[in-house]
Amino acid sequence: MRRRIQPQTIYKNSNVQNIHRIYALSKRNIILRYKNSLVGFFWGFFKPLLYLLIFIAVFSKIPSNHIDNYILYVTSGLIFWFFFSNVTNQSVGSIISSAGLIKSLDIPVIFFPLSEIIGELFNFILTIAVFMVVMYWFGLTYSFRLLLIIPCILLFGVFSLGITVFLSSINVFFRDVGILWGTIQPALFYLTPIGYKEDLVPTAVATLNPIYYFIKLGRGIIHDTVPPSASLWGACFCIAAASLLIGSFVFYRLKNQFISTI
Amino acid sequence: MAADHLIIFDHVSVCYWQNNMGIHSIKDLITKRKNPFQSKTILSDVSFTVGRGESMGILGRNGSGKSTLLRTVARLVQPREGKVTVNGTYAPILAIGAGLELELTGYENMRLLLSLYGKSRRNTDPIKAIVDFSELSDDVLRMPAKRYSSGMLARLAFSISIANEADILIIDEVLAVGDQGFQAKCMDKIFKIKDEGKTILFVSHSPGDVLKVCDTAILLESGKLTHAGPAAEICEHYNKLF
Repeated sequence: MRRRIQPQTIYKNSNVQNIHRIYALSKRNIILRYKNSLVGFFWGFFKPLLYLLIFIAVFSKIPSNHIDNYILYVTSGLIFWFFFSNVTNQSVGSIISSAGLIKSLDIPVIFFPLSEIIGELFNFILTIAVFMVVMYWFGLTYSFRLLLIIPCILLFGVFSLGITVFLSSINVFFRDVGILWGTIQPALFYLTPIGYKEDLVPTAVATLNPIYYFIKLGRGIIHDTVPPSASLWGACFCIAAASLLIGSFVFYRLKNQFISTI
Repeated sequence: MAADHLIIFDHVSVCYWQNNMGIHSIKDLITKRKNPFQSKTILSDVSFTVGRGESMGILGRNGSGKSTLLRTVARLVQPREGKVTVNGTYAPILAIGAGLELELTGYENMRLLLSLYGKSRRNTDPIKAIVDFSELSDDVLRMPAKRYSSGMLARLAFSISIANEADILIIDEVLAVGDQGFQAKCMDKIFKIKDEGKTILFVSHSPGDVLKVCDTAILLESGKLTHAGPAAEICEHYNKLF
């Protein structure tokens, strides 16, 4: 005999309140992220630039790695990668670290990973805006095609949300996930063609790497002369949907037991 | 009957997953196919009702399931069996520091928690009420909460909780910290809330406090409800446990 507690009609406009709640949590995340740093959000922009220097130092020596407009090529990949890397690193522990709130308030637990994504998306969009301005001097051509970056960011956001929800739910029960994720990431980074030509990564590995598709899509919009193909959009859409489905399936199977473990 | 009963527990059982983590659990999983997560019963077959305007004390040893019971009332935990009915809104009392973000300042914490309670951000009255009640100075409230003493944290947590007006006030042993003046103030506030006809669930290890605040009480022993009745009677039973 398993019965759910009947939901009560407590709030007249609980959807509005939930939006306020997600907003408040996202704002908290943004404040906390750069609370004690000097340049704050600009790290979102400096970090890719520092990596760019490393890439230039390492990969420009390889003669076969000749890419037109290398700087734009690398940075367009890097900003997407760092969005993914930041958001997963920060939110893998988002459910555990909110234990105090989860144990005392009736807030949907999904709000915690969700607000991490929203906070980071906010940063990401600002970073892209700065990037779009600066990259003018590095050969970025302005056209309406650049607006395609908006659906691209949305798809990547949905994909990251799925991964985040998956990781943070499992991490509640097996803290090993958080530690393991930190070590898997560099591998994933070098298996994604960010600083070098795509043919340097074995095709089989590249096709299995979901992030590859999003990097390729973003780069197609920003760097390449030909816009990304419809099939690439389709692939990204399917990956994002699959990631969200798997993430939410795992989350909803586990969510009733979070409180007993955190 | 349902109208004047704010909280109805009907043969409620609650189970938690208990994990025995570590290398042994992996060995057992592989060799004996033993699930590393064991279901552990925290509350079994608990039934009681709380009427509107009634104050109920919950007594019991450490680990007897008091906090789990409060979480079940607050609908944070789903019962495995039985039915829980709560006809009203509840205000959780934050355990010391729980829910407060230590990196944020006092003001930022207030705004965050009030938003999470579902209060409008434009309405600044609750903030004033919190500041007044907590008696913390403006300087203190502009500091990150990590620099607060435990008494200051308790003041902030209690003040934020009571700013959230609700039908049921849940108090889980918060009065243990805080200086004497603040404790007395909290007690006054609790009596005031009681006079307003609100319902109070009061967990405490001090039978004296329970007698002061509560009309009725229940006694939990290892997840089972052993005694229920007038507060005075239950406090005697509780004292006999030791």
